[in-house]
Amino acid sequence: MLERSDWYDLARDTNWTPKYVPEEELFPEDYAGSRGIPEHIWATYDEPYKVTYREYVGMQREKDSGAYSVKAALERMDMYTSADPGWIATLKEHYGAVSVVEYNAALQNARLLRFGRAGGMRNMATFGMLDEVRHGQIQLYFAHEYVAKDRQFDWAHRSMNTNNWVTLAARRFFDDLMMTRNVIDTSLAMNFSFETGFTNLQFIGLASDATHAGDFKFAKLIQSIQSDEARHAQIGTPTLKILIEQGKKADAQRMVDISFWRSSRLFAILTGIPMDYYLPLDKREGSFKEFMQEWIVTQFTRSLEDLGLEKPWYWDIFMRDLDEHHHGQQLGTWSWRPTLWWSPAAGVSPDERDWLEEKYPGWNDTFGKCWDVITENARTGRFEKTVPGTLPVICNVSQNPIVGTPGKTLQDRQLTYNGRKYHFGSEVDQWIFEQDPQRYARHQSLVDRFLSGSIEPANLEGVLAYMGLGVISDGGQDAHDFSWATAKTTKTVKAA
Amino acid sequence: MALFPLVCNFEGDFVLKLLPVDTEQTMAEVGQTAAVNAVGIHIADQPGKTIYARKEGADAPFPLDMKLSDSGLEPMDCVKFYFA
Repeated sequence: MLERSDWYDLARDTNWTPKYVPEEELFPEDYAGSRGIPEHIWATYDEPYKVTYREYVGMQREKDSGAYSVKAALERMDMYTSADPGWIATLKEHYGAVSVVEYNAALQNARLLRFGRAGGMRNMATFGMLDEVRHGQIQLYFAHEYVAKDRQFDWAHRSMNTNNWVTLAARRFFDDLMMTRNVIDTSLAMNFSFETGFTNLQFIGLASDATHAGDFKFAKLIQSIQSDEARHAQIGTPTLKILIEQGKKADAQRMVDISFWRSSRLFAILTGIPMDYYLPLDKREGSFKEFMQEWIVTQFTRSLEDLGLEKPWYWDIFMRDLDEHHHGQQLGTWSWRPTLWWSPAAGVSPDERDWLEEKYPGWNDTFGKCWDVITENARTGRFEKTVPGTLPVICNVSQNPIVGTPGKTLQDRQLTYNGRKYHFGSEVDQWIFEQDPQRYARHQSLVDRFLSGSIEPANLEGVLAYMGLGVISDGGQDAHDFSWATAKTTKTVKAA
Repeated sequence: MALFPLVCNFEGDFVLKLLPVDTEQTMAEVGQTAAVNAVGIHIADQPGKTIYARKEGADAPFPLDMKLSDSGLEPMDCVKFYFA
């Protein structure tokens, strides 16, 4: 029998030679994004993971049986009842934001396997597509078992079919980078920037947090997914090599710069908030910033340099962002918690504040000042003042609230395009808009919808109904029922 | 008299907030409306001080007795509010 290496390249590249349609109809440029690079160059695409269907099925069977065995074995441990509410918030946020999106990722990979010009890309994308179907199925299934305990877990299935503001932001992100770009662009945006840069590593962090939190079932689930990501995330790397070799470096750099920033904004909420605020203090291994510095700043920039790309032009802004953006989004999501499908943890008891100040020097004098006011309201029973009576202004690119460090960096950036005023959370978001205004101009942010009369009645109740809150489940409340507001420090005070 | 949306950037706050006001309001009244959504919610009150408003990027505040309709502000312009 032949060794795999003896037949793999031939089998992978087996193609039909089209006779009845021209090549440009078989691979329309809008879909293929070939950039005039000829077939024989694309044939040099060299995927780092060479897998056959037989091997793939064997590996995936093992992964699935491992994850489902752990699930079955731990079923009777009833982790859910004993888990900290902050960890439950992490689970709900993750499942609602991620599960159904995995099916969209399967469609993205399906486009790569149909319109990719390289046999290697099509082969990798075939397995990537199957990976993503598995990720959708397993995460929906694991979340479903909790629905009977708590209806907020139903958002795993339903969130992406609502107009919840977190959903609007996530859907807009994935529509922009994953669903509506040609296969070359999306292989750079999603497989390289998003998955190599963020998803792959985010799943390592989340698996570690789950283990520390005692949620071994979720840890196993996430590890099972991460091992797939490590493989199919690599689809974009050979694409980058070809583009650079063919003199398209600036083109590739631009796509990486756009997608890296957009991904970082999404993960500030998806990962940054749970790591620094939801996870119980005694379970934390490090801060979000430390995690990002190790896994993104160091490792991702090494990947860029190895490939011959530069750091994104906004690198200084990105580094500053690690100190502030997710803190602002935490204040925002917690404050507007009735609009969430999970009950967020405030994460600002005295001990937690000490930890935040240690990890983010200056936190007490900036974000902490806002929490001082909230804490005093909670202590004195003025709970109605802990939920603002108006909406946050939303960035027209990221679709996140426009936040900044109190007293320092909060700022509106405006641009009028075709008579309509747009708002941006940063100069990078504005730059992204300016790269391709037509792509972003028609989308309505939550505030645009509110002002245009799409949300009726134009009050909080109307907003909640528009988002699906009170229909699928009630919105969020404080995860710890404000116990943090009256908590005392547990530090031992030494006698003078 | 017409509903007029502004973007509120209140000094000390962490987020821009939608601020529905009325064209007939004075800038002092606009400041008070902004305070309802920020002071005592996310930023501490400063009793005895006055709330001023200036267009974001401008140096000088609007006169407190100026009507919003005379301010030259357009819908969804960003206004910086601050105690002084």
